[in-house]
Parts: sequence; C-alpha cells; structure tokens
Amino acid sequence: MELATERTASPPTVGGVKVLGLHKSYGKHAVLHDVNLDMAEGEVVSIIGPSGAGKSTFLRCLNYLEVPTAGTVTIGDTTVDAATRRPDRASLDRLRRVTGMVFQNFNLFPHLTVLENITLPQMKVLGRSREEANAVADSLLNRVGLAAKSDQHPARLSGGQQQRIAIARALALSPKVMLFDEPTSALDPELGLEVLAVMRNLADEGMTMIVVTHEMHFARDVSDRVMVMADGRVLELGPSEQVMTAPTHERTKKFLRAVLDR
Amino acid sequence: MLAQIASGIGLTVVITGASLLIGALLGLPLVAARRSAWVPLRTLATAYIDIVRAIPPITWLFLIYFGLPQYALRLDSVSASIIGFSVIASAYMAETYRSGLLSIPQGQWEAATALGMKFLPRTRYVITPQAFKVTLPAIAAYAIALLKDSALASTIGVHEITYQAGLVSRATHQGLLAFSIAGLLYIAMSIPLALAARRVDRVLRQKLEVA
Repeated sequence: MELATERTASPPTVGGVKVLGLHKSYGKHAVLHDVNLDMAEGEVVSIIGPSGAGKSTFLRCLNYLEVPTAGTVTIGDTTVDAATRRPDRASLDRLRRVTGMVFQNFNLFPHLTVLENITLPQMKVLGRSREEANAVADSLLNRVGLAAKSDQHPARLSGGQQQRIAIARALALSPKVMLFDEPTSALDPELGLEVLAVMRNLADEGMTMIVVTHEMHFARDVSDRVMVMADGRVLELGPSEQVMTAPTHERTKKFLRAVLDR
Repeated sequence: MLAQIASGIGLTVVITGASLLIGALLGLPLVAARRSAWVPLRTLATAYIDIVRAIPPITWLFLIYFGLPQYALRLDSVSASIIGFSVIASAYMAETYRSGLLSIPQGQWEAATALGMKFLPRTRYVITPQAFKVTLPAIAAYAIALLKDSALASTIGVHEITYQAGLVSRATHQGLLAFSIAGLLYIAMSIPLALAARRVDRVLRQKLEVA
C-alpha cells in the first residue's frame, strides 16, 4: 500500500528494461555473449541456470557494478551504452537511482542500526531530510514486518531478517526496477520463505523485478517469464509455465531435471 | 631532579602529537594515491612509502637538521623533528589506512554504489567508520611507537624528556636514577594511551559483533 503511494509520487517514467547485445569478457575470457532482454513495466523475470552461467554477472551489468564490454542497457528513460569509452557519471548515477539491488549476502552496513541503514542512502542520494527518511523507513519496516528491530544493529538479526531489511533499504529510494541476486541462497530454507513472501508481495504490487534464483517454485509461480542461461548465453526466454514444464532446449531440460528431481 | 626531567614532557608531547596529526592528515591523500587506478601515481606513492620507511628515523632527523641548511634552509631543532617524524608517520599511517580499507568486504562498496551513493558519501559514511574500527589498534600502537621514537629528537638538541634526563645525568652523575625517571615518564604516558585505545576498540567491537 505504502509502495503504491511511493510510486505515484515519483516522476512518471516508463519503468521497463531493455538490454541489447550485452557482452562481457574478462580479458580473453568471455562470460556473457549477446544477452538481450526486453521487459515491460511491472513484469517479473526470473533468471535460472547452472552456476557459472553468467546470471549474476548479467544482473550486475544492469547497474554497472560490472562494466559490460559491449551492449546497451536502458532502464526507464536512461540508456547507457558500453561503447561509450567512459560512460558519463551522470548516466550511471541515474541508472543506479532507478534500480535497487538485493545481494546474496545482504551487505547491510554493520556499523549502522537497521533504521540508519534505510535512512542514510535516502538522505545522501535523494537529499531527503531525516524526518522524511525516517517516515519512509518506518513504513517500509512495517511492510517487511520488522518495525520492532529498527534500533538494532544488523549483526543481531537472522539472515532472513537482514535480507528483508536490505530489500527495505533498496525500496526506500523508490527504484523503478528491483534486481535480486540470489536473495535466498545464503539462507536456511525456512528463512528463505519469509524473504520470498516479501518478494511475492512486491511482485503483486506491480514492481518490475529481475530475480537470479535457484528457487524454482518462485520462478514458476511468481515470475511472468523465465530466462534460462548457460555458459554466458540465453538458452531460452519465455512464459514461466512453458519454460518450466515444456522447455525447448535440451540443456534446459537437463538443468531442470537436475534441480527438480532431487 | 624529577621537575627538570618532567619539564621535557611538553616538547615530547608536542613533537609526538604534531607529527601524528600531520602524518595522519598527509596519510589520506597518500593512501588515495597508493590505491589509485592510475599507475604512475600509484607507483610514486608506493615508492614514497617504501623509501620513507626504509630510512631509520634518526637518519631522517639528521638529514633534515644537518642536511637542509646546505640549501640555506635552517630549521630549529623542534621544527626539524616535527617535519622528520611527520614524513615518517605519513608513510606508516597511509599503510595503516590501506590495511583498514582492504579489510572492508567488497560487498560494502558494492551495496553503497548500487544504492547510488557517490564516492564521497560512500567513503565518508560507509567505509571510513568501518575502517576506523579496524585500524584503531594499529594507530594506537603507532602513536606509542612514535612517542618512544620522539626521544631521538634529543640527538639534535630538542629539550624533551630524554634530553633533560641526559643533562641531569651529567650534572649529578646519577644516570641510573635520571634515565629511570625518564623511562617511568614514558610509561606513564604510553600505558594510558594503550588502555584508552583498547577500551574504545572494545566498545566499537561490541556494537558490531554481537549475535
């Protein structure tokens, strides 16, 4: 509910994602080959595939934590082209402002309280006052069910709680797109569920999401489309039900057998 | 006797404090240069740090106090010692900062970057407070080492604790007593420093590492 008001408060932009011809290599070693993705606003795409497929690298190229070797990334109305020798800081700042990222290891700031973790970026990035930032943080903490923890330091919280805080921290900046990099991989299955529940809500509310995950149920039930990657390439990209139950690619079938029949 | 030796405390504290402060400040651009992606700058900073640390402190003091006057730069002995120790401290502090920065997990930089925080706020509010916690014990240890090294300033005639003890020793022929008093004065200054640092360190750690 709070999120809905957040969204209308921000300037009206198209919240879709368009990735064209993304390549990434380290020296001679290519890790991404010609990855393309076109997403409408509000769409949820899960990226699955064996480890080393380049899923995380792809996600990290979207907000330029990794600089792609070639290709363009468009999020909302901001486009960054890797061909530009040095992408200008302003475009990168805008790209990062419209994306929120959630990491496998949460990466909360350990020296700050839960509340401060959520307010600091708001004040430093969006220039909000402490009062405004606190108000946003309070409502988000309520949303993720952790209002009682606001004065604690992250080390006192369970992994699932930390990840919910990390989601709240990213949402506080009103991103257009949320990027999840294996958000439940570092968690016990039970703790993973509480994180997945928060993500499910977010998807229901119309957030545009890209989720690198090994949670096959989430991929099938929550995402609109599933993208399967292996060896730095997209094997297939299609409606989740179809990809998960009737994949076309032999490599996908093999992967799904391995993760589902255990 | 005690009074005369203790009269050197002021200069010991001034030389140690000033050099530590100047070194701590100079260490900041130095560590930035040392970590720079631009190779010439990084090489220059690395060379500076290595060379400065390779030369014994007393040689530095002589170089500045006896060497510079050849180029018409005559410094009084207190300034010469502060300059010498500041140069040395800057190199040590830069290395201390660097190890502190290296101890911060990559994920902290990445999270701050992904949140859209730019270099300065990222450094100021996310990295520095964490690095400070890690480097504090090393900084305190260096402060104590510097306090003891400041006795070398007596060799170029700074009237600090050791110099005063030397005067007393020669005048009274009670060297054992005179230098024991000097030793006790150094202990009296360094132990509280060590205890305070340990205390701050413990408090900072408690805040972060509870589970």
